[in-house]
This record gives sequence, structure tokens and C-alpha cells, in this order.
Amino acid sequence: MNKYALFLGCTTPTKVFQYELASRWVCRYFGIELIDIEDFVCCGINQVNLSIETGLLMAAMNLALAEAKELDILTLCAACTGALAETIEKLNDVTIRNGINEKLRNVGLEYKGKIKVKHISRVLYEDIGVEKIKREVNKDLSGLQVAPHYGCHYLKPKSAFGGFEEPDNPKSLHQLISVTGAHLVEYETLGLCCGGKVFPVSENLVDSLVQKKLDDLMNKEVDAMVLQCQTCYLMYSDRQKEINKEYAKLYSLPVLLYPQLLGLALGANPVKELGLNLHTVSVDRVLEKIT
Amino acid sequence: MNKVKRTPEIKQSVSSSELEPNFKSEVLAHTDVQGLNACFSCGTCSAGCPIHEVFPEYNPKKLAKMVSLGMKRQVLNSPYIWYCATCRNCEQRCPQNVKFFNILNALKNMAAKEGYAPAVWIEQTKQVIKTGMVFPTEKSWVKKREELSLPFLKEGHPELKKIIELTGIDKIKPKVDTE
Repeated sequence: MNKYALFLGCTTPTKVFQYELASRWVCRYFGIELIDIEDFVCCGINQVNLSIETGLLMAAMNLALAEAKELDILTLCAACTGALAETIEKLNDVTIRNGINEKLRNVGLEYKGKIKVKHISRVLYEDIGVEKIKREVNKDLSGLQVAPHYGCHYLKPKSAFGGFEEPDNPKSLHQLISVTGAHLVEYETLGLCCGGKVFPVSENLVDSLVQKKLDDLMNKEVDAMVLQCQTCYLMYSDRQKEINKEYAKLYSLPVLLYPQLLGLALGANPVKELGLNLHTVSVDRVLEKIT
Repeated sequence: MNKVKRTPEIKQSVSSSELEPNFKSEVLAHTDVQGLNACFSCGTCSAGCPIHEVFPEYNPKKLAKMVSLGMKRQVLNSPYIWYCATCRNCEQRCPQNVKFFNILNALKNMAAKEGYAPAVWIEQTKQVIKTGMVFPTEKSWVKKREELSLPFLKEGHPELKKIIELTGIDKIKPKVDTE
């Protein structure tokens, strides 16, 4: 069944419109029906800082809302993916589940434990598959050198994803990029975290992490980073301007969200359908290399 | 600019009279932290921690040891417990299957109850209670979504407010910055 409730999270629909545009376009292309549920709320991942229970309750509320419509959830944000998937795992414990359901009952909801949560990349990888994607590619991306970045919560906690990936040696995004015809760049800091979750507490911790990865990539022949989470995107792309100012650097590395790269390979309109005009770091040099 | 606070590392000897032996069991009372007893301080958590690499004062191995020793006041009052980037390498790579990430969340929850949480997280929770998301509604993005023909986002979620307040998170007070 290629039908999912679309879980937008907080950041994508308010700050990274191009991720939502391109994701909706790619899903439509492959016949994945997305249902918008207007009652969805924040996934709760940051509330865990103050109260683990609140985080669970918020995630469970979203799960219950999708369950009531008999839909699985498709996510865009890596962190929402991790938070929702981990909540499903934690709510397998009957005592915890009963405690959460007791609260959910106040708003007429119940979590039953019949739902799956999948990130859009995993849906493309598992439901559509690289073979089918390959048959649809109609643009030549072979002139592009692309560096993947997974996003920590897409991979961890491993137990919440049923062994989908080996977190220290992930493969799905590599294969999804490869199938577009773009070349993969291997680099040492592949697994390095973007730091996005500590950004509200300390910007300069994030800047240190971001610069480590950007420095690694600037030493290589790379046309773009390709990632699959809007928070990682904001750290690696929009943060470049701030870092250049604050630390006298000259970073100008284009950063794409995976559905944008795939959309380009499938011949989507770069502006109208993929929002490539909305990037703060110009992606013109990527577009120039596509024939 | 939000600079990290560097305070001198705790290197002085710790008097046993200042320790709170029950601290460890208080932490262990949280779910998914039981593995702490299996920690033998090998340091794999700190070795794989990206924050520790750029800011050595944030040290998972040391925090785990401080919990085991009962250094409650020093741990809960430490600004460092809020510097985790949540990458989860620590638990992923631990040879003893200690869930340090969960331990840290339990510590942050305990610290928050005692009034040590950074204001930014309390403000964000208030925002979530108000709009259902971590950001306030802004005309600029409402307009942009319209321009791009993206669906309207519902504003305000009274059901969320109703259940979230049952957890008591709305009663948590932020740390008063004395600096």
C-alpha cells in the first residue's frame, strides 16, 4: 500500500519549503499517496530534554492520530523519524503504553501499536526500490560529484529501525544517490553529526562540527552535499553564510535534499517543482552540470 | 551569539561527605538506564562523541562515573549535560550496552525539576503548547506556503495543551543566569 500520512514536523514546513515541495513531487511521481493530517503536532523530541514522558506522549499522540486513519507515517525529518520510531519501540512495554494511553484518552485518542514510521528515503528504497527508480531516470547526472550525509536519527537508535541500517556503515542513501547517475564522494567525516539538536543551546558548538565536515569536503572534488533532513540542511547550508562571517571562511558548497537530486534525475522543473531557487547557497553549479 | 560556557574542570578531590550515595539509584529508577551498572569506564562513549572532540569538557565517560560516585549536585548543576548533540554514538558503540543517551536524558529531566534547565528549552515548550510546533506562526512563512501552493497549517492545538499539562512540563522553571 503506497499511501502514507505525511508528517512534516516543525522546521520543514516553515523554513525549508523546498524539501516539502520536492518530496511531494517525488511521491506523486511514484504514486505514493500522501495524506495531510492537520492535527499532527511537534514530534516531541526536544521536550525529552525536560520530560521524557512528555516527549513520549507527544509522539504517541501523532502515532494515534495516524492510526485512527489506518495510515502509516512518512517522515521528512530524520529527528522526527527517530523520535516516532523510538516511541513505537518504547510503547511495546505495556506499563508505559497504559500510562500514555491513560493521558491520550482525555482527548479521545488511543495508541494501539499497529503503525509503522518510515522516512521518505526508506520508502523510496524499500517500497519503490532502486531498480524501478533507475528505469525512470531520464537526465544525465554523471557529471556530478556528490557527498552523502545521512542524519543521525535516520540511523539511530538502530533497534527502532528493525536492523534497516548498520549505523556505522550505512548504505541506503549511497544507493539512492548512485541510482540517479551522480558519482559518490567517499569522505572521512561521513558519520559526523550536524549538531542541529544542540543549536538552540550553543551555536558555536554547531559551528565547530559543521566546519569539520565542510573542511573535509572542501579538500575534495565535490559539487554538492546531499542529505535527507531539513535540520542537517540548515546547519550545513544556511549556516555557511554565518560561519563565513564569524570565522572569516569562504565556504560555498551547494547542499541538496535527496528528493531534489532525484527530482533532477527524473526531469522535474528545478524551480517550480524542486524549489532550487530557495537555497541560500546557490546551486547553479550543480544545475550547469546536468544534461 | 550563544557561546559555550567554559568553567574550570573539576579536578579537586571530592569529599565523601559531599556525595549522595542514593543519586545512582535515583537515576536508575528511570526506564532504559539500567545498563549503567555495567559501565567499566572504557571510554568508548567519549571517544566517539563529536561534542567531546570539539569541547573536551563535555565528557560522557566522566559524567557516568560522577553519577556512580553520587556527585549529584555537581552533575545536575553542570551546564555540560545540556551540550549533547543527540547523535547517539555513545549508546550505539558501547560494548557494555549502556544507554548513556537515556542516562543523560534522565539527568536532564532531574536537573530541570531542580530548576537548572536552560531557558531556551522552557520557551520552546511554551511555544509548543501554544501552536503545536516549536516555532511561532509568522506571516512570512504563511504567505510563502500560499505562494508555493502548500497546504495551510492549522494553528493552535488545544488537545495537545490539555494532555501535555498532565505531565507537569509546563511547571518547570528555567535556570536563572547569574552571569
